[in-house]
Amino acid sequence: MMRMGIRTLKSAALALAVAFAAPQAMAQEVIGVTDDEILIGALGVLTGPLFRNGKTIYDGVETVYNEVNAAGGIHGRKLRYVREDDVCKPDQAVPAVKKLIYDHKVFLIHGGGCSNASLAAKPEIEKAGVPWVITASTAPQLTDPVNPMIFTTMLAGWMETAGQLQRVIDLGAKKIAIVAQHDAWGESRYTPLLDAFKAKGMEPVADEELSPEATDATPVALQLQAAGADAIITVLFPKAAAALLRDMYKIGYKPIVVGGSAIGDIKGLNDAIGIDGALAKFQSLFPTKSPLDPSEDVQKWKAAVAKYYPDDEFMVWHMFGIASGQFMVKALEDAGRDLTREKIAKVLATTSVPDPDTYAGPIACTPEDHQCYKSMAWFALKDGEQVQVGETHLSQ
Amino acid sequence: MLPFLLTSGITTGALYAMVAIGLVLVYRSTGHINFSHGELFMLGGFFAYTFHVTVGLNYVVAMLLAVIGSFFVGVASDRIVYRPLIKAPGLSMVLATVGFSFLMKGIGRFFWGGKGEYLSIKPIVDPAPLWIAGIPILPQQLIVLAGALACMIMFTIFFRSTLAGKMMQATAENPRAAYLVGIKVEQVYTYTWGAGAAVAGAAAVLMAPLTLLSPDVGFTLLLKAFAATILGGLGSMVGAVVGGFIVGITEALAGGYIATSLQEVSSFIIIMVVLVFRPSGLFGVYGIRRA
Amino acid sequence: MAVGLVFLATLPFHANPYLLFVGNLAMLYIVLTVGLNLLIGYTGMLAFQNAALFGVGAYGCAVLRVTLGLPYWLSLPAGGLIAMIVGVLVALPALRLTGLYLALATVAFAQFTLWVFLHWYSVTGGPAGIQMHPVDFGVLASTAEYGLYYLTMAIMLAVVALTWNLVRSRIGRAFVAIRESEVAAEALAIDLTRYKTIAYAISALYAGVAGGLFAAMLGIVVPESYDLFQVIAQFAMVVVGGIGSVWGAVIGAVGLIWVQEALRAFKEFQEIAFGGMILLTVLFLRGGAMSLIKRHIKGWDEPLRRIPRKR
Repeated sequence: MMRMGIRTLKSAALALAVAFAAPQAMAQEVIGVTDDEILIGALGVLTGPLFRNGKTIYDGVETVYNEVNAAGGIHGRKLRYVREDDVCKPDQAVPAVKKLIYDHKVFLIHGGGCSNASLAAKPEIEKAGVPWVITASTAPQLTDPVNPMIFTTMLAGWMETAGQLQRVIDLGAKKIAIVAQHDAWGESRYTPLLDAFKAKGMEPVADEELSPEATDATPVALQLQAAGADAIITVLFPKAAAALLRDMYKIGYKPIVVGGSAIGDIKGLNDAIGIDGALAKFQSLFPTKSPLDPSEDVQKWKAAVAKYYPDDEFMVWHMFGIASGQFMVKALEDAGRDLTREKIAKVLATTSVPDPDTYAGPIACTPEDHQCYKSMAWFALKDGEQVQVGETHLSQ
Repeated sequence: MLPFLLTSGITTGALYAMVAIGLVLVYRSTGHINFSHGELFMLGGFFAYTFHVTVGLNYVVAMLLAVIGSFFVGVASDRIVYRPLIKAPGLSMVLATVGFSFLMKGIGRFFWGGKGEYLSIKPIVDPAPLWIAGIPILPQQLIVLAGALACMIMFTIFFRSTLAGKMMQATAENPRAAYLVGIKVEQVYTYTWGAGAAVAGAAAVLMAPLTLLSPDVGFTLLLKAFAATILGGLGSMVGAVVGGFIVGITEALAGGYIATSLQEVSSFIIIMVVLVFRPSGLFGVYGIRRA
Repeated sequence: MAVGLVFLATLPFHANPYLLFVGNLAMLYIVLTVGLNLLIGYTGMLAFQNAALFGVGAYGCAVLRVTLGLPYWLSLPAGGLIAMIVGVLVALPALRLTGLYLALATVAFAQFTLWVFLHWYSVTGGPAGIQMHPVDFGVLASTAEYGLYYLTMAIMLAVVALTWNLVRSRIGRAFVAIRESEVAAEALAIDLTRYKTIAYAISALYAGVAGGLFAAMLGIVVPESYDLFQVIAQFAMVVVGGIGSVWGAVIGAVGLIWVQEALRAFKEFQEIAFGGMILLTVLFLRGGAMSLIKRHIKGWDEPLRRIPRKR
């Protein structure tokens, strides 16, 4: 009877072998492009604690694609968007990107939200020669040195942190401290922030850590107060930021606090803390306009996202995707009907969208610089409303 | 600085103590550590959110409903995980509760974690800090402390003075003898799991207005509760409470005086150091009940 | 079985790079779960440190190769040895503890290790981790992927063969004796600490070597790969495949990697699926997939394999 086991095993193995050996789909002229469809892959985090960094962005991208498709597509082709989850981890990103390239056979990749995962995926994408437009990963080494096929429509981590530092200096701060969460997300901003200090010949007066799950930040608040910091740059998610702001207020310590793109909803943060005045000297920077912006540009996309993703609550993250989607659509339109990967990469390298609906500034690529976005806007709470209080544009 | 750190350490300590109480309660009567205990806290917070924010019920009503909801999740843990495995080796039970914790985390994320930004419950009382003897303390922190003390007192009275409490004690000491004197041992187990979960739920409800809710809070909190129970001696209720406060205060002091990066890691170090050098904990009950 | 091996050996010639990677990953997880099973299934020790030691091996290999410039053929086994040393250092105090205490101590150790990966910037690179250039296999393989695939395969086969023989040896019988009853084992003059340490050391070595392979497969070593989910995934493989069975570990690793890839589109249910699988298997099929095979394929015999019962 033992032999039967082996026979079963044998036939199973044979069946598998046949399945794998079956001729691959007929080679097309251009991978991922048919007469009526362009297949675009998204690589990023769709589930788990960091899903905002991916899923909501791709909902934004796909909203743009859906609208374009509804209006007839691009040069007679519809855009189809397939997503693969990297769970924000390199070990999941490598199979995800291989699946996109060799299994789904996408024309190009439009996505990438976690720096470590994107860095792990990069060699495979480079090797396969697939064009890649990054939507949210902030590691500068993804596009610097320039790779002819790789572009990003997201602010690099160092730009955000350099912007934060410049802002607190402009606001008149002398003794500046850092509070960071030391995980992969925090790291992609924390080290560049230290570099930004160095570039200005400055030293943070305190460099504290707060866990993303922190519920009490009194020790951190006390350390900052003891260091005499008059301004604080946070590299924190909203949960830890709320604890920090509340506990600083509690001990009667009221420095300037500058947050980053993870805190896109200052009003919501204020509601969570519930203390009037805890956010009096708080400002946050995002690459986008405010999701609460009443202008037609933002509101029409908010409505569109609500139409396609009724469960989503409209956030800054959607706005990353929408701006990036508009950029991609522009490039595909400019490239014409005869598409190849090399051609679209060439077109991407000179594509610009002077006024994306949801971004604070222009997206513009040049052949020498594939870091295609360099603007940010500043927001604060005024009379209970989230209002824009400034913009920073780094030179192209 | 010290009084500030102490008040903050005591508040978080109260939270850890409450979570640890539930852990010890179940351990004492069943001899098993519930690795899904942190997720009961997580669900308790989300229940409170649903009743208070989504449905719009009064906070106190929502709080009671959330505690009752947690109680039933605890009862479900007993029926789904503990009861079927009552004769299985300890290894199976740990694996099963570990599996169950992930199951609950996934469910929590599915219903409450995957839509928008973090969920929050607005502070119920005036959130501006009170200054008591020169120390600032948030009214909600006082509520957490009061709630935790109330829970601990209720438990003491329950075990000392009520029949049900005595039945639980008896079952924990010797299930067979308890069975022989007519105690419905299985029912006692069910209530024990339910009660353990209810305390975790209560802790979550008290804490919710002080923080944002997330599906990932469970494991972090479970480790703190482990540290508290081990420090107090696994199986000792008083030890768990004292241990909870010690862990909370240690974290605050390590964060305030040494480095803030140590705040997170101190509970892991406590667990390892205590287990290596004094596995019996501060109150020395090691070996009383080995699974 | 021969056909299976031929299939494995020829996979690179007919699979696309994605399937090749998945095949490679499955073989790597066989190494991990066979080692973990030795600890949980054979010796009956509940330990959560395997994922952390997997990470120690990966970091060890990457640090030696990238920072110190050692060649891969040296840094891979060295990473395994480092993991083994760390594993034994943990084991020595931990082994005085029994049952739940051991579980709790190793949970704390696993979280502590993760914290060290995140904070020891000068060695681990902090949260950004260490990037590793592809391994050059020279004349042995045309690409790094093929080279790694065959290397993993060779190591996997060696590990399975070694473990298969080990569990049938005097050492394996001692492990099982310890699992069934420590008191009885001691009465049989089995040195508990010695054999527990052996089990620990072997599983740590396997985890460490797997870590070095993993580092080369991904080209990057970062803390988040060795977190709680890694622990759960490995537990699920051991439990679902069949606790206390070498072949069960093999089936569990291959099966769950397959499930994970086949259900890529449903990752939001991944936690529910892995947690649920552990729970359901423990509840309804305590011997895992192996107990089904044993029931339906008569004559299948694996020595010393028996579903553990309460003492």
